[in-house]
Amino acid sequence: MKALTLVLKNFARRKTRSVLNTFGLILAIAVIVSTFTISAAMSVKIGDEVEKYGPNIVVKPDSKLLTIPYGSIVVGQSTFPEEYADSILNIPNRKNIRVISPKLYGQATIENQIYLVIGINPSKEYMLKSWWQIQGTYPKDNSSEAMIGFSLKQALNTDVNQTLSINGRPLQVVSILSETGSTDDYMIFLPLHTAQTILNSGDQITLIDIGALCNDCPVEEISRQITNILPGVKATPVKQAVETRMKAVEQATNFSLMLASVVLVAGCAGVMNTMLGSVQERKREIGVFMSLGADNSYLYRMFLYESVIMGAVGGLIGATAGVAVSLLIGPIFAGVTPSLQNMPLFIVPLSILLSIGSCIVSSTYPAWRAMQIDPVKALKTV
Amino acid sequence: MGSSVVQALDRVSVIIPDRQFVAVTGPSGSGKSTLLYTIGGLLTPTHGKVIVDGVDVYDLSQKERAKFRRENIGFAFQTFELIPYLTALENVMLPLALSKVDDEEQRLRAAECLSKVGLESRADHKPTELSGGEQQRVALARGIINNPKVLLADEPTGNLDKKTGEEIIRLLKSLNKEGLTIVMVTHDLSKAEHADRVLTMLDGCLHVQTN
Repeated sequence: MKALTLVLKNFARRKTRSVLNTFGLILAIAVIVSTFTISAAMSVKIGDEVEKYGPNIVVKPDSKLLTIPYGSIVVGQSTFPEEYADSILNIPNRKNIRVISPKLYGQATIENQIYLVIGINPSKEYMLKSWWQIQGTYPKDNSSEAMIGFSLKQALNTDVNQTLSINGRPLQVVSILSETGSTDDYMIFLPLHTAQTILNSGDQITLIDIGALCNDCPVEEISRQITNILPGVKATPVKQAVETRMKAVEQATNFSLMLASVVLVAGCAGVMNTMLGSVQERKREIGVFMSLGADNSYLYRMFLYESVIMGAVGGLIGATAGVAVSLLIGPIFAGVTPSLQNMPLFIVPLSILLSIGSCIVSSTYPAWRAMQIDPVKALKTV
Repeated sequence: MGSSVVQALDRVSVIIPDRQFVAVTGPSGSGKSTLLYTIGGLLTPTHGKVIVDGVDVYDLSQKERAKFRRENIGFAFQTFELIPYLTALENVMLPLALSKVDDEEQRLRAAECLSKVGLESRADHKPTELSGGEQQRVALARGIINNPKVLLADEPTGNLDKKTGEEIIRLLKSLNKEGLTIVMVTHDLSKAEHADRVLTMLDGCLHVQTN
């Protein structure tokens, strides 16, 4: 009969009580697992939402003649072929590419005044800039239609269904972009191929804005893959977009960690309290063990085994309950649906190990108290 | 105890030869149990030595003393002190489990000891299923399983009726005849008479020794 057998027999005689004693720990582990699981699902959702707001990768010519877009204003000029936009879908992580929006920047003359013109694919651009609101309709591709930024409506004294002569070519204004508060308010938006004709740029474009999905692949890796397959251009992560996403995710994770820590400390306190109660209750039993020749290391081993069993059982039940709870309450309280794909499954074995580790730490003081028991006092017959 | 000093034992000096059955009597609070636990290595004397089989017990470290107790001392208590969640057989196995003896050997030797005390048929019963006399016999079997040099029995018949108490005394005498040194604390002079030697304690002092 080994020490572990003794411990198991002790647990077996009070099964219900043993489970109840680990209730605090089960609750702590369940909270940890469900919080992390829901937080992981929320991170995906937050990431997806943030990624809808603007590009997170820009592809520009990698040349000494810099094209420096300041917001939407371009300083300097260097271009590359439009076909590069289609080639981007050849990268290994092509499934992470949400939208590819090629653009041509240029200057055009309207009534002897120079204005900034952008050739775009309107539907793709709207996928990147979902906050855009327009009065009218988007210009059709290859058409002689234009969309005017909000501030140019007054400057050009124009409106929807009016005609503008851009570099001598008449174009119909089919929409006015609602005020965005950005440099887009000062731009004239033309269908890409129309802009290429008016600006005499052939099949060239100035840059490509890309919206990438980065939950399972960092944007830096996607950028690297694009740079590798396209000659003469460089793909660069848009730092602001990346950092915004990371910050949102980080905040959700930090909150989870803080909550989990508090709950775990409370759970450990419960375990320690339970074990201290057990030491008090089993004073005579410990005194008998000492009188029969049990030394401190044997007593410590008994309490260690007890704590490991408590931790393992509590961790297993808690982790299972946590996964179940996250599937139930995730949709109700957090508007997310955790799934096996986005669930951090490592959290289950990790939380069991955490539970065991916490119990071992929590049992140290009770074990020490047990070793301090005076067997003569413990065995004193009243 | 509290803020005052209690002289539980006062200049007690005694030699107990091998194979002797010694009874320690005296009124309540005279130091009988204190003497027993001191001999058993559980209570460090303020002054003096305890030498068992040539070993100065309190010269050993705490760990060494525990080992010495496992291998050389057997205890039996007034309230039996059996572990409630273990069977009779498992209770008897306990000292060997502490000595990390092989499981199979533990069972064999425990069964032998239970047989010696006449309880082989009750091996799988828990303490709550045994009578007082049976529990004390299990406790005695536990006390002798490690072939101790000395068995220390603290009021082994204190919680038993007269008839059962006499059975226990007869068992102790038979164990003593087989060569076991026994020191038994009792307040019952009729039980003490069965011993080879009676020590009478009074106020922590060894008052009288009779053979």
